[in-house]
Amino acid sequence: MSISELLSEYGDMYVQALLGTWWMSLVSFAFAMLLALIITVFRVCPIKPLRVVGDLYVQIFRNIPGVSLLIILVYALPYLKIVMDYRLCVIVTVILVASAFGSENFMSGINTIGVGQIEAARSLGMGFGKMLRLVVIPQALRSAVLPMTNLAVAVLLTTALGSQVPLSPPELTGLVSYINTRTVGGILPFVISALMYAGTAFVIGVIGNAIDKKVRIVR
Amino acid sequence: MSATNSTSMRDALYESPGPHTRRRIRFWTAISLVLVAVGIGLIVRRFYVTGQLAPRYWELFARPTTWIFLGKGFLGTIEVSLMAGLIAIVLGFLLMLGRMSSSRVLSGICRVIINFFRGVPSLLLIYFFFLVVPTYGVKMSSFWMITLPVGLAASGVLAEVFRGGMNAVPKGQSEAAYSLGMRKMKVTMKIVFPQAVRYVIPSLISQLVVVVKDTTVAYVVSFPDMLQNARVLITNYDALVSVYFVVAILYILVNYAINHLAVSLARRSGTSIISRTSENPV
Repeated sequence: MSISELLSEYGDMYVQALLGTWWMSLVSFAFAMLLALIITVFRVCPIKPLRVVGDLYVQIFRNIPGVSLLIILVYALPYLKIVMDYRLCVIVTVILVASAFGSENFMSGINTIGVGQIEAARSLGMGFGKMLRLVVIPQALRSAVLPMTNLAVAVLLTTALGSQVPLSPPELTGLVSYINTRTVGGILPFVISALMYAGTAFVIGVIGNAIDKKVRIVR
Repeated sequence: MSATNSTSMRDALYESPGPHTRRRIRFWTAISLVLVAVGIGLIVRRFYVTGQLAPRYWELFARPTTWIFLGKGFLGTIEVSLMAGLIAIVLGFLLMLGRMSSSRVLSGICRVIINFFRGVPSLLLIYFFFLVVPTYGVKMSSFWMITLPVGLAASGVLAEVFRGGMNAVPKGQSEAAYSLGMRKMKVTMKIVFPQAVRYVIPSLISQLVVVVKDTTVAYVVSFPDMLQNARVLITNYDALVSVYFVVAILYILVNYAINHLAVSLARRSGTSIISRTSENPV
């Protein structure tokens, strides 16, 4: 199959698949960040049960294989009378996994803040909430830019799980198997998808590096 | 980084509370305990009202045959993971050598390859080996159809891990070797790399978690790994929910153990774990 044939027949689907992958990645990443922040606050707050819940959440979702989680959402939850459509299942899977890793990134961001700063904040009379808001979180966010950029790339790659459930229109990985089951597509459909992924990952990396250069804390 | 080594900073965040704060913390602890208990209760209730706690879904786990069968699948997972890990280590090492070579062309090519494998989902590579490679007349067993793509996907990350390790070896070491008249190849292989191994071993082990996770899609090529065998159990016993949950927990425990090993090794040797998250994204 030549490239012109492929593009005339599946060009539209590639555009849709690329947009679908971008959209899923964007939504998942945004919600994962939010959830990661909440989980991180749980993990550093002085209330023991919340800490335990936060730690447990992170250990579960950073260690569970994505497919295993997706299968549970898609096939097991309906037995428990919880039904989500396929795309939502994929997005929720990515959010759960990514937020666990995101929380780990925030935790190591918090760990780079010196204990002296905390003591200084406290000696100025700041309470826990104020200290978190004015001292800890801004710095944790700034030093988490590079890890979060890598997480964004990981989110992009994790959306490939969408190929394991019937999505219409399919995302980039699902499209390759879709094309290959209908025609002998050869290496070309695969290469196009791969380049779209790698190109997106590259752009995310460039943006992340640029942001990091702006906000990095030079110590 | 793991949760365990962050405890010190966590505790520094608040001073020892006075009587008033202590009372407040106790109050909210009690509230949150109730909330957590209610949450767990709701989940269990959900299982109960939908009939998923019925013994017929769970009694299969009392039979040794179930565990033997899952164990066989687990052996398959181990086999695939170790082979994929081996491929990733060898290829990652070669890519790192190329990336660090003084030849601009070779270094550039290896950089592109590394970034390609880091920027492409392993599932896409699996589909490549499953759907595309056979159309070119290459016959492959399902074992290689899963190990090769998973290994390739991990090799890009490992190349960067190795490079980080090589760079962590003090410059004086290679300078001293050069001044003794050693060639670059000899310096790399005999002086720098053996010392770099010490820095990268924890990272290699933690990368194994990613490999184990990637192999769970082995059912795509119908290789009998643990998840694939779980699917067989489900059709045999008609117990979908319980089997999927138990298998997920097994995977979590295995990966937790591997992570734990990596972290404790890293702490003992005073190194840090280099993973995808800690490197430069481009």
